[in-house]
Amino acid sequence: MTVALTEMPVPVQVSAMMATPPKHRRRGRFTMWIAIAWLAFITISAIGANWLPYIKHSCSQYPNPKQCSTHVIGDLRKIEKPPAWAWFAHPEKNIGNGPERTGIFGTDRNGYDLFSRAMFGARNSLLIGFLSITFGLLFGTFFGMVSGYYRGWADRVIEVMTNILLAFPALLLAIFIVTFSDNPNSTSSANDTRSIGPIILALSILAIPPLTRLVRANTIMYSQREFVIAARSIGAPNKRILFREILPNIVPTLLSFALTGLALLLVAEGALAALGLSVEAPLPTWGRMISSGQERLRQGIWWPALMPAIVMFLTILCINLLGDILAERFNTREAIA
Amino acid sequence: MRYFVNRLIQLLIVIFAVTFLTSIALRFLPGGSDVVVALKTGPGTTPEQAKAVKHELGLDRSLIGQYIQWMKDFLTGNWGYTFQTNQSIKSAIAAALPISIYIMIYAQILSLLFAVPVAIWSAYRQGGKFDRIGTTTAFGLLSAPNYIVAPVLMAAFCVQRKWIPYPSVYAGIDDPVAHFKAFVLPVVTVAIPLYAGYMRLLRADMIATLQSDFITTARASGVGTRSILFKHALRPSLFSIVTSAAVNIGALVGGVVIVEQFFLLNGMGRLTVESIFRREYPTVQYCVVVLALIYVVVNFVIDIAYAWIDPRVRAGRALG
Repeated sequence: MTVALTEMPVPVQVSAMMATPPKHRRRGRFTMWIAIAWLAFITISAIGANWLPYIKHSCSQYPNPKQCSTHVIGDLRKIEKPPAWAWFAHPEKNIGNGPERTGIFGTDRNGYDLFSRAMFGARNSLLIGFLSITFGLLFGTFFGMVSGYYRGWADRVIEVMTNILLAFPALLLAIFIVTFSDNPNSTSSANDTRSIGPIILALSILAIPPLTRLVRANTIMYSQREFVIAARSIGAPNKRILFREILPNIVPTLLSFALTGLALLLVAEGALAALGLSVEAPLPTWGRMISSGQERLRQGIWWPALMPAIVMFLTILCINLLGDILAERFNTREAIA
Repeated sequence: MRYFVNRLIQLLIVIFAVTFLTSIALRFLPGGSDVVVALKTGPGTTPEQAKAVKHELGLDRSLIGQYIQWMKDFLTGNWGYTFQTNQSIKSAIAAALPISIYIMIYAQILSLLFAVPVAIWSAYRQGGKFDRIGTTTAFGLLSAPNYIVAPVLMAAFCVQRKWIPYPSVYAGIDDPVAHFKAFVLPVVTVAIPLYAGYMRLLRADMIATLQSDFITTARASGVGTRSILFKHALRPSLFSIVTSAAVNIGALVGGVVIVEQFFLLNGMGRLTVESIFRREYPTVQYCVVVLALIYVVVNFVIDIAYAWIDPRVRAGRALG
């Protein structure tokens, strides 16, 4: 990972494994279960955002089903109300009647309930992150195993491709891929009229090279192990060796790496959104909610940006935590630089 | 020597590949050179005018021709002017580069200043209270993307307490107070994940070093704690942190776009991205090549630094 998608935290390359296991577990089961609980809550909310009772929405108000997430509490004039618990905060102007503060997260400029929007945002953000890492894993595993097992010209071609992709500044790469799919008639690239497809494509392509390297290194390592040699000597076909002997051994490493990767891709989506390269306008993602809330910060309206930021932070924290625990358990922290 | 020549050739290929791919990718962005014409002349351009503009900018040549022309311009130092503002590209980059380099240097210093002592002490008292607080904090900080950190800092120091003006107003080093005010928040934003990364790296390596035999020997022969930590254990543990810091030098110069964008500082990252949006093909390419060059030079220097940090590398290279 020469140049990480810049806005993400610097890639952590833990090279040295601890020689002996730590005296006591760094993070206990308790933390792990809290992380799982939070992720479960977010996932369930994301999947069921349309019908779960605690997420307010009013699809009937809008002809376009894409705008389902946009629930307006009361009438439109009661805009930008702080969260109900924020006793210290006041709305900039309180026109109309109704409470001064409302909702768990408050409402935004358009009167949309931010909590519901954050849950609908979870749907898009998680979908983007999950699909990208899945594509990254599929292609990364395929290329990595082919290149590590067969070696030869396939290895060389894949190696060169990986190196070029890694040498390319990651953010530029993402910007290029996302803007490729733009409407040729528009002159500005920062127009928000994309479906989630190009975003997923861009993030998948960012994920493939590091995963390819990881898989390749592991495949080479396992190809020389005695059980693979044994399988080959009794005449097992290559396909069987790849899928039955090598793949199962790589999966644990991949799994812990996939979680870290998922966290990185969620962050990357937000980075793209911060540059105005987000999904189609009414669709919320966490990144887009944060970046559109930022304009209001200067007026002291903190909740539209900070509340989704907290949700996003907690989610990334929990994913990283689980990834770390998995990595510790499988003892697989590879440096892939 | 052969090693260095090989490295040099490799790096030249990387630079060539990156700039060439950039030029191809740029041309294939939707709208192509029509967008340049549209942005430059505004609406209602006749096809003849558009053709003239394209010819003037050299956009009617073939892709390879444009790339070769660019290469010539780059090597002769005659970098030309931006399409829309007719500003010299050299001066645009000369204005942007210092900002990025300031952010990079300050962020590196700040993060290392905190990361090294915290990591050493955490490793020395592994599992202790300080270690647990330190590792947990680092873990949390690593999960906070900078587009979350930046608004929080801004809300706290620019809005709630009006200590620092927003957006940042660039000021050179000759006005220290304004310089500080311009850079403190962006630098802290960039430094936070850096700190967390460095701290975790050095801590892990330090723990491994402290368990090796020569430390036990040193301790057994009565060497003091301070001397063990700083004289014996620190140097062999520096390897990964130096690697990471070196990689980050290149990554940070062009790669803090979000922070630059948020605080409205016109650094390299912002210049590059804005130029892509405005289809300033040559400007993007010069930005990319400058960033790649920085990357290459840093890589070179760091190779020499390795040999200084760890004599085993020197020996290994002599043998190989």
